[in-house]
Amino acid sequence: MAAKRIPIARFLALYGIYAKMDLMWFLRDFKYAVLGILGDAVSNLTAVAGIFLLAWRFDGVGGMTRYEVLFMLGYSTLITGVFQTFFASNNTGHISRRIGRGQIDHMLIQPLPLPVQLLAEGFIPFTGSSNLVTGSLILAAAVHFMEIALPWWWIFSLIGNVAVTMLIILSESYLYSSVAFYAPAAAEEIAYYVIDLRSPLSQYPLSGMPLQLQIPLITAVPAGLLAWFPTMALLGKPPLSLTSFFPVLVAVLFFLLAQFTFRKGMMHYVKTGSSRYLTQGYRR
Amino acid sequence: MSKQVQADTLLRDTAVNVQRDVAVNVQRDIAVNVQSDIAVNVRNITKNYEQWQRSSDRRDLFRNLIKPEKRIITALDDVSFQVEKGEFVAYAGANGAGKSTTMKILAGMLYPTSGSVSVLGLSPQTDRIPLMRRLGVMFGNRTELWWDQPVIQSFEWKRVIWDIPDDRYRKTLDTVCELLDIKDLLHTFVRELSLGQRMKADLALLLLHEPELILLDEPTIGLDVLAKRQMIGFLKDLNREKQTTILVTSHDMDDLEEMARRIILVSKGHIAYDGSFGDLRTAAGCMCRIAVTIEADFVPAELESAGVMEELGRADAESAGVALGRPDAESVGVALGRPDAESVVNGSDGRSVLAANGSAAPAVANNCAAHPADHRSAPVIPNASLISGSRGVFEYEFDQQATPITSILSSISGIPGVKDVEIKKAPIEEVITGLYLKWKGIE
Repeated sequence: MAAKRIPIARFLALYGIYAKMDLMWFLRDFKYAVLGILGDAVSNLTAVAGIFLLAWRFDGVGGMTRYEVLFMLGYSTLITGVFQTFFASNNTGHISRRIGRGQIDHMLIQPLPLPVQLLAEGFIPFTGSSNLVTGSLILAAAVHFMEIALPWWWIFSLIGNVAVTMLIILSESYLYSSVAFYAPAAAEEIAYYVIDLRSPLSQYPLSGMPLQLQIPLITAVPAGLLAWFPTMALLGKPPLSLTSFFPVLVAVLFFLLAQFTFRKGMMHYVKTGSSRYLTQGYRR
Repeated sequence: MSKQVQADTLLRDTAVNVQRDVAVNVQRDIAVNVQSDIAVNVRNITKNYEQWQRSSDRRDLFRNLIKPEKRIITALDDVSFQVEKGEFVAYAGANGAGKSTTMKILAGMLYPTSGSVSVLGLSPQTDRIPLMRRLGVMFGNRTELWWDQPVIQSFEWKRVIWDIPDDRYRKTLDTVCELLDIKDLLHTFVRELSLGQRMKADLALLLLHEPELILLDEPTIGLDVLAKRQMIGFLKDLNREKQTTILVTSHDMDDLEEMARRIILVSKGHIAYDGSFGDLRTAAGCMCRIAVTIEADFVPAELESAGVMEELGRADAESAGVALGRPDAESVGVALGRPDAESVVNGSDGRSVLAANGSAAPAVANNCAAHPADHRSAPVIPNASLISGSRGVFEYEFDQQATPITSILSSISGIPGVKDVEIKKAPIEEVITGLYLKWKGIE
C-alpha cells in the first residue's frame, strides 16, 4: 500500500474531476446549494464572533490586542475553510466514518494508492469554500486594522503555517481514527469528536494562560497549534520563547505516529475484513 | 486441485464414481495448462476469522473484561482451485459457505490467513494497483456509482481514475450503452434509478476499463425477471464474444446454471464440487424428470367399461365424480367407491400409483388425481415417481442411471391417451438443496 509516485498532471486530473463533480452538485440545485453555503459561513462567523466581542469589550484578551484576536479568528476560519474545501467531502478527513462503515473496500478496488485517493476525493472547491473565503476576508481585515507592513514573502509563511496546521489536524484525525479499525462501531464517529468538537478550543487565545495549560495544548492535545500559535508566529511574536517552526516538529511527530497506526490498522482491516458495511454516508 | 478430500465427501454421499472422474479430469486439465492461461490460481488458502464470545453471566464479568473468549471461525479451509482465461465459472454455496470471503480475497480486499492467490498472474496483496487496472469487481449489494450525480458523471469519474484514454473510453462507452440499453439513463441521477437500472449502470461502469477478469458477487440479487434475463444474457455474450473471464456467485442456482459452464460448490469452507452442472446432477443422483400430458377428451378404459358415462347419459360429463353425484370427490377412485384408486389407474402392468411410488405416494396420488372437473388420472410409469400433476399433466422423476430413458419412453408408449411427453432436467436448485441437506446431515 505504499504510495507510488504520481505525476502532478495526474493529481490535477483527479482534482479536476472532483471539482467538476462538485460543480455539478452545486448547479443541480443552485438555490439550496447557495443557502447551504451561506448558512455554513454564518454559523462559522457566529462561532468566532463571541470571542471577538469579548476581545472588543475588554480591549484584547491575555495580552493579545483585539485585532490580533480577530487575526487569530480569521486564521481559524481559514483553516476550517481549507479543511472543508480539501478534506470534508466523502469523509476523507473524518476517516473513522469510512473505516467504521467498511467503506475502505471501495478504495481498494481503485488503481490508485490510498493516500492519493484520500488527498483527491475530499476536494469540493465550489460547495466547500465558503469558510475559506470568509476566513481570508477576516484575515485581510485584521491585517488592515492592525496597520502593519508585511513583507512580500509573508504570504508564503501564511501558506506554510496553514499547511502545517492542516497536517496536525489530519494526523490527529487519522491517528485516533485508527481505533475504528479495531472497534468499527464504537469509534465510527471519533474523527468528528477530534476535529469538530475541539474546534472551539482552538479558537480561544491562550496568551496569558498558565504554563500548565499552555504546554499540553501545544503538545499532547495541540489545539493551541491550530490558530493561536501560528497567529503569534505570523505576527512575529512566537509564544513561550519557542521557534516559529515548533508546530512543524509537532506536525511531523503526529504524522509519523498517525502513519504507523493507520498502516497497522489497515493491515488489521485487510486481515479481518469489515462486517459493518453501510452504504449510507459514502457517495451519497 | 491438490486436495481431494472435499470431492471425496460428495462421492461418499452420492455413492457414484462420476465425480471422481470429474475431479481427476480437472487435475489433469490443470496439469497441462500453461501458467499464462490461468486467470485465477488459488492454492491452499485458509481464512480464519475471530469471533469474540461474551456471556451475560455475572461470574464471567471480569473474564470478559480481562481475557474475553475468542472463537476461531474457519471461513475457507485449505481451498485450491484454478480458473482458466475465458472461462465462465459459478462459485456457489449456502450462506456462510465462504463465497464472499473468496471474492474479497481475489479482489485484494481481504488477505488469506495462509495460502497463495494469483489473479491474472498478479498478487492481489502486493500488486493491487496494476491488478485493478485489469480486474473488474462488482458486489450486488454495493454500488460504485456516485449517488448524487448523473450516471454519465460516474463514467467520467471512472475514465479519470482508471486513466482510460479518451478514444478507448468513447468506444467502450458506446458499446456498453448499446449492449446494456442504458443510453436513456446516462443523464439520470443514480439515486433515481430503479434497482435493475442501477445494476445495469453499475455493470457498464465496471466494463469501461475492459477488464480481463470480472468478479461478480450476487449480481442478480433483487432483480426482477426481465432485468435478470437481460443481465444474464449480457454476461453470456461478454464471455462468449470477448473471452472475458467471469467468476460469479449467486444464491439463484438456476441463474448460475444459465450463465456458467462450470460450477465450484463450496460448503463450510471446503470445495465440495468442481465441475460441470451436468456432472453435478449425475453426482447428485442423475435424477431426470418427464412430464406426460393426457388428452383432454380421453376417458379411462375402466370408466368406459363400467359404463359410467353411458349410464348417466353424460358423455360430456366434466368428471366421473360429478357424474356420480359426488362433486366433492377428489378422485375418480373415490367417486367409484374405491378410495385406494387402484381400479382407475392406467398402469400398463396393472399396478396402482400407490404400489409404484411407495410410501410417499398416497399424498401425491391424492393431490395428483384428476381435478374435480377432470376425469384424467395419473398413469403409472414403472420405476418413476409421480411428483406432481394437474389438469392432465403429470410430472415424474426417475434415476436416469438406474432406468434408461428408452425404458421410460417404452412404458409411456403403452399408456392410452398420451398427448405429449416432455423430458426435463431436475432443477439445479433442487439438486443443490439436496446436497446441502446431505452435507448438513453428515456434519
